[in-house]
Amino acid sequence: MKIKEVPQDGVILESSGVRDVCYAVDENGNYTQVISVGWEPKNDAINFAWEAINEECEQIKAEVNAGTLSPLAYHMHRLVMTPAILADYSGFSKREIKKFCEPGFFSKLKYDDLLKLADALKIGVEQLISVD
Amino acid sequence: MELNFVHKPSGHCENGVVSNLLRFYGVEMSEAMVFGLGSGLFFSHMPFYKMHGMAITSFRPLPGDIFSRVVKLLGIKMKRFKFRDKDKAMSKLDEVLLKGIPVGILVGVYHLPYFPKEYRFHFNAHNICVIGKEGDQYIVSDPVVVDKCRLSSNELKLVRFASGTYPPKGRMYYISDFKGIKPVNEGMVRKAILKNCNRMLKIPLPMFGVEGIRYLAKRMRKWVSFFGEKKAALNLAQVIRMLEEIGTGGAGFRFMYAAFLQEASIMLNEPRLNILSAELTAIGDQWRDFSYNAARLFKKRDAEVATYDQLADKLMVIADREEKLFRELEKVIRDAQ
Repeated sequence: MKIKEVPQDGVILESSGVRDVCYAVDENGNYTQVISVGWEPKNDAINFAWEAINEECEQIKAEVNAGTLSPLAYHMHRLVMTPAILADYSGFSKREIKKFCEPGFFSKLKYDDLLKLADALKIGVEQLISVD
Repeated sequence: MELNFVHKPSGHCENGVVSNLLRFYGVEMSEAMVFGLGSGLFFSHMPFYKMHGMAITSFRPLPGDIFSRVVKLLGIKMKRFKFRDKDKAMSKLDEVLLKGIPVGILVGVYHLPYFPKEYRFHFNAHNICVIGKEGDQYIVSDPVVVDKCRLSSNELKLVRFASGTYPPKGRMYYISDFKGIKPVNEGMVRKAILKNCNRMLKIPLPMFGVEGIRYLAKRMRKWVSFFGEKKAALNLAQVIRMLEEIGTGGAGFRFMYAAFLQEASIMLNEPRLNILSAELTAIGDQWRDFSYNAARLFKKRDAEVATYDQLADKLMVIADREEKLFRELEKVIRDAQ
């Protein structure tokens, strides 16, 4: 990659302090470091992953509204949490987290348990119990 | 308090922390040299080891390997810790820091407040350096950020104990004795290059090294039939994200290693290394080309997008070129010994 080819596709990084330090060659073929604010294929790959997550979230939202999944399932997916990871952060077991994704179990949760889950997800309880 | 620590951004977090730590102890070493001495150029595609439900593809060794190898070569002594107790982890950090010692730590990026939200997946092999503390705020040097950052003790505790694949478990490390440090010499560079060739050519498992690139190509041809169109595209996107892994220019560290070979060429007075550097640059450009075409596939941008088969073909060409390069590199180094 030549210095003038170093990409500056900043759609994701520009509003942060994160930058890519790239290695590129000058006219004499010697390597030097060049700061890049981003690269389109990588931006595309990241955005593609998030779009897929968002689509899946919409499907889960529909299931929550239909009463087949609890709002926890929606928030977990939106926040890319798996049952194992949320179990680790919240102190519940993986089995319990999976049960809480069922509306029947979720609706019976005490406030303290909801708070534990919400804290682990870094959202408020009011947000946890709804999908709006 | 803040240590007199020069925060220099770098392409890769582990190299960057090593390079910045060495500078603190008076050793100026480029990131490329750290990478080279750490035999950092690699490839692996591991369908059995998943992140977000999909195979991990890596273009460098296991987290920590580069650091270990460099430290061993240079004759530096390090201390490493892992913790079950979060508070113990924080008090040990404070204890070392207050002695005037900068501390490298492993963190998960999911809860890193200064990372853009798009980057916040459960990736846990990120290295940063703690270089100061003021009140409840820690001053950190994160090589992928242009300026120094600050984290509260709660924020730091959270990222040091992030959950997910390969959790950091409060890991921290620091240089405990650099009196025995040896200056970089030819012998070290040769040894490191040979080790790198070994890793790319001689691991007797199909998922690693040059064979790993072919293995990925083979699997890629079957992704649509294994996973369906959507998941196949997501798999491809994950490969691209791991290829880039913060600042490789899309070449999976090939450009960085080429920069190292240029330095090595001067140090060893071996012009053939410069030629191999140029070849590796060309290979890096082929990885970029692969990524551009892959992105067009999963975005379905044009009618003329490459197919998974065609992308796999590109990988096979890259694999052949890398094999040839590493065999020549090995020969050049052995010849000169």
